[in-house]
Amino acid sequence: MNWFPFYLSLKVAVVATLINSLLGTGIAWNMARRQFRGKALIEALLVQPLVMPPTVLGYYLLISFGRYSPLGDFLAETLGISLVFTWQGAVLASSISSIPLFIMPARAAFEGIDRRLEQVARTLGQSPWGVFRTISLPLAWRGIVAGMVMTFARAMGEFGATLMLAGNIPGKTQTASIAIYDAVQSGDTTLANALVALMTLLSIAALWFANRFLKR
Amino acid sequence: MLSIRLTRRLSDFVLDVDVTCPYPVTAIFGPSGAGKSTLLNLMAGLLRPDRGEISIDGEVLFSSDAGIDLPPERRRIGYVFQDDLLFPHLTVAANLRYGHDLLRPQDRRLNVDQVVDLLQLGPLLGRRPDRLSGGERQRVALGRALLASPRLLLMDEPLTSLDQGLKDRIIPYLRHIRSDLNIPILYVSHSVAEILELTGQVIVLRRGRAVACGDFFDVVHHPEVLPLIEAHGFENVLPVEVLSGDPARGVSVVRYGVQDLKVPYCDRPVGTRIFIGVRADDIILCRERPSGLSVRNAVQGRVMEVSAVEGKGLVYVDVGKRLAVKVTLEAIEELRLKVGESVTCLIKTNSVRIGPEVE
Repeated sequence: MNWFPFYLSLKVAVVATLINSLLGTGIAWNMARRQFRGKALIEALLVQPLVMPPTVLGYYLLISFGRYSPLGDFLAETLGISLVFTWQGAVLASSISSIPLFIMPARAAFEGIDRRLEQVARTLGQSPWGVFRTISLPLAWRGIVAGMVMTFARAMGEFGATLMLAGNIPGKTQTASIAIYDAVQSGDTTLANALVALMTLLSIAALWFANRFLKR
Repeated sequence: MLSIRLTRRLSDFVLDVDVTCPYPVTAIFGPSGAGKSTLLNLMAGLLRPDRGEISIDGEVLFSSDAGIDLPPERRRIGYVFQDDLLFPHLTVAANLRYGHDLLRPQDRRLNVDQVVDLLQLGPLLGRRPDRLSGGERQRVALGRALLASPRLLLMDEPLTSLDQGLKDRIIPYLRHIRSDLNIPILYVSHSVAEILELTGQVIVLRRGRAVACGDFFDVVHHPEVLPLIEAHGFENVLPVEVLSGDPARGVSVVRYGVQDLKVPYCDRPVGTRIFIGVRADDIILCRERPSGLSVRNAVQGRVMEVSAVEGKGLVYVDVGKRLAVKVTLEAIEELRLKVGESVTCLIKTNSVRIGPEVE
């Protein structure tokens, strides 16, 4: 039995969740608390990955980060990172597809905090960053965890965009979702069943964790 | 000495204030929408004036000319809101320590034990805010603000959401802060009773302007002020001394100046000084002392002043101290009430409100 696809999916999902937690928390806080020019546009862009067909999203990623794009060229030349046909590409595809699912609950959680609690903290001598760390973050924690669970689940299941950007290279970029598709196509029901069972268990575990953690 | 001179345009009106407060406690009085809370937010640095200058004891917190705008965390101004706004994820002890722990040790003017003692918070320390009653929460919020060692305390109707009994218990704490801790207070309130129990000094705000400023009894005649006080029902607040109490009859006797008054029974030791409240509408004036009435208190005095504003009459009677009585203009004419004439003020025992202790 080849466990690599499952292991790769887990790795990709964990890394994507970490990236989205850091990036998404910052974006969610800014969307919840600040007014700036072009906010509506950014708002619309942030929902796009959810609305757009995954293959379309994947195609955009491919032309944005491919060797022939200035961005892809820059990443490859100066940082030595290639996102096309690599596991890092799978992380990017998963991260972008799932970021709306992180931002929505996290932003709602920040918006649900009485702004005056943050103001009181300032009058008590706390800096803006300190207020974020000691008041906003702990009070929005449930929304952030909800976002992490959703990101993780979405990243585990990512198929279309990942296939477009990272491809389907067994032992390199073939994630569990893609491997299941491959196994079914080639009639390998044993592998398909094993991966499906594993993925089902994992989703149930994620749901259980979310319920347990968020209800309290 | 607090000096505020600022302008700030908001969506529907302009706040334009120029006042100085030399007093330890100054009340800001005014109808809703007058800009009271806005003024406090501007002082605390939560809102930015369009122009002007704010300074405390000569230190400039904001000046549009000098380009100074200290952020809230560097102003050292405590702020207690109408709802307590305790941090729900922290225990009472952690709430109290929040500002205290951020101060450099040499800047701490109070320690936690002192404040816990003063506000009697000992039994609450381990609890979460959702396990506290309204009065307890407000006391914790007050303690938290005090422990940040502010040089000025802003209070935005801190007692409005509490019932009368709780108010009476918290007001003495506020007076401790003023007298023992020497922290000046700017206190927003609708309630004349609260203001008189705390301080006599008021700034009256109306439509974004300070229309009057000074001793409450001096500004009360101001044509812009009286209607405001009328709207909330004027209440005389008198400091009295408890002389005796008769729980069986439900009556206590208290002394006000040279007069003895019968008031509802209050369970306080003889000699205690308390405030009582008597609404100006609840006092009856008569030229001669009547007989055969159920009213227990007939207080002799002289008319000090008669004022008529917007069809209503307000008569000040000197009964050793000043008592405001609201009567109709017709009554003023019929009784021929003039300055210097002697009158009797009738006060029903049960119309007297027993207030908090005076110190």
